[in-house]
Amino acid sequence: MSGAIATGATTDPHAADLGRGSLLLAEVHRITARRFIRWLLAVSLVTYLVIVSIVGLTQFAKPSAAGLAHARHRVQAAVANQKAARDQCLKDPNRPTDQPAEQICGPDPAAGMFRVQDFVDPPAFDLQRDLPATAIAVGVATAALAFLIGATYVGAEWSSRSMVALLFWEPRRLRVMSVKLGVLAAAAALLGVLGQLIWLATAEILQSTRGAPTHLPAHFWSDLVAQEGRTILFVVLMGLLGFGIANLIRNTGASMGVGFVYFAIVENAVRVARPRWQEWLLTDNIAGLLSKGGYRLPVDSAAVSPGGGVVPGQPHEIFISNLHGGLVLGGVTAAIVAAGVASFVRRDLH
Amino acid sequence: MTVIEVAGAHKAYRRPRRPPERALNGLDLTVASGGVHGFLGPNGSGKTTTIRMLLGLVSADSGEMRLLGEPVPRALPAVIASVGALVETPLFFPNFSGRLNLRLLAETAGVSRSRVEECLELVDLSGRADDRFKAYSLGMKQRLGIAAALLKSPRLLILDEPSNGLDPAGIKEVRQLIQRLGHDGRTTVFLSSHQLSEVQQVCDHVSILARGRCVATGPVSEVLAGQSTGDVRLRAPDPAAAKQLLEAAGYTVTSLGDAWRVHRATGPGAITRLLAENGQYLTELSPIAADLESVFLELTREQT
Ligand SMILES: Nc1ncnc2c1ncn2[C@@H]1O[C@H](COP(=O)(O)OP(=O)(O)O)[C@@H](O)[C@H]1O
Ligand SMILES: [Mg+2]
Repeated sequence: MSGAIATGATTDPHAADLGRGSLLLAEVHRITARRFIRWLLAVSLVTYLVIVSIVGLTQFAKPSAAGLAHARHRVQAAVANQKAARDQCLKDPNRPTDQPAEQICGPDPAAGMFRVQDFVDPPAFDLQRDLPATAIAVGVATAALAFLIGATYVGAEWSSRSMVALLFWEPRRLRVMSVKLGVLAAAAALLGVLGQLIWLATAEILQSTRGAPTHLPAHFWSDLVAQEGRTILFVVLMGLLGFGIANLIRNTGASMGVGFVYFAIVENAVRVARPRWQEWLLTDNIAGLLSKGGYRLPVDSAAVSPGGGVVPGQPHEIFISNLHGGLVLGGVTAAIVAAGVASFVRRDLH
Repeated sequence: MTVIEVAGAHKAYRRPRRPPERALNGLDLTVASGGVHGFLGPNGSGKTTTIRMLLGLVSADSGEMRLLGEPVPRALPAVIASVGALVETPLFFPNFSGRLNLRLLAETAGVSRSRVEECLELVDLSGRADDRFKAYSLGMKQRLGIAAALLKSPRLLILDEPSNGLDPAGIKEVRQLIQRLGHDGRTTVFLSSHQLSEVQQVCDHVSILARGRCVATGPVSEVLAGQSTGDVRLRAPDPAAAKQLLEAAGYTVTSLGDAWRVHRATGPGAITRLLAENGQYLTELSPIAADLESVFLELTREQT
């Protein structure tokens, strides 16, 4: 994607030493030189470190040997309790016989049913529970950051009109836009990967300094890798969405306003007025994309309006799969980006 | 060889809830290579629109255009490397330094960093190149815009009212720079302006634009000859007596506030002599240059 435009001057011996120009190189240079973007990243990193230190220091403690022994004891007690209750239930003559015993009285409690980590007091950092959950939170924060960077990257180009100045150097508008989009997508992906790596490293540190001994289940790491892949896709899409909105309305501040109005007002209004449409809301599709195995959204049937299609009184559930979430998010982003690019390619620029 | 050719260009800007604004009305324009070609017209006559069309920023409704012999906007990707432009105000990133702004453009086209320094030197901005663009004065911004247009060592340099916002010293420098470039044997400068005097000072050829059409074109000396009014501005110690004498000699005299305007004063020597013989020694006698409006009025009247 090198934007060499030296063709016209090759026959002119006096022309400037036009080498192979690179729109791509210049764009990378441009985005990394932006002060506001650097500042955003620095502030985010500092905020992250502060939050991690405070939460790490106040919420978790490494259990002592005595504390662990005590927790194991409590696990045994819990297992014994559960077993006793189950035995009692099985012996109960009034137990309904049309359903299997397992369903009424619960499964036979084994030692693996309760985890020692859940019984230590004060609580310890738990890699199995805290790593994937917080990885999603970190992903959401980096996605918001990517949205902001995408919006300001192109919004400032419009407000300074340096977008137009660039066309004196590369008149192929589609190429100009593609390079900018590509650079932003790559930057957002890098941001997503870095965010996850930083959290992974933090989690390892927390586990070794403030965690209880743990046995990770078999699919733990492969599940985590899949989740992080979806998270990084999400970060890239949000970066492109910020870029797309700001490019369409050609203003950074206004695109933040659009984002705010959508997430704070439109989504909540839809939740109240048309609960079934939640299947198409961005937030729910984000949850669908990120959650392992998809996202089940309970619909409060009492709130469904008569035309909503749900019989009052019957509990209802909307299921949003990873694919559904990714497609809706990707589709909305693609539509907005395409509208902005089409308008840029065709319209008069002043 | 011609560097710019426009034939029958029309352009109307569409506006919401109002009739379209007709900016160009069948413009024909030919600019031969070499020298400085003035593009003279009052505000709103379509100069910027023409330049934007040539650079592919706005689309023409109809008409043919060529830059350096190639049809545009189709061949623009090929010719743009030889065309430098400053359109209206320079467009730079406000928080980047002048130098960084130029370097980013240079990287886009593969222009060397030493050329960036050369151009900064050329417009006398080397000393302030590391300041942020937004901290520059209007004149410095304009000079940086010219530097950016020069980066490519263009064969055609398009400058749209480059002296806007410059102080008199800055205007003088820019005009000298334009003349130097226009006569370096390889650059053609296409200079748009609404100032007759600027065109008279720096241009070899001129095309005059009025309401989206070219109304006159040719060497400056020919096109603007006979465009001085022939009127003079006159001041004397005793204005009333001077007026009386002049009117008695058959001149038409009108007031300019603190001076008289003598119409069709074909022989200034005769006026001086007439007044001196009657004891009136002039404190001022100067020709009144044609203002642009009257030149346009004259030219557009001839057209219809
Ligand atoms: N973006 C625009 N939208 C609507 N009308 C415009 C626009 N730009 C210029 N015009 C109109 O087109 C005409 C020519 O303008 P312009 O080319 O800027 O003239 P000049 O550069 O000679 O002052 C003017 O009447 C102006 O009002
Ligand atoms: Mg103009």
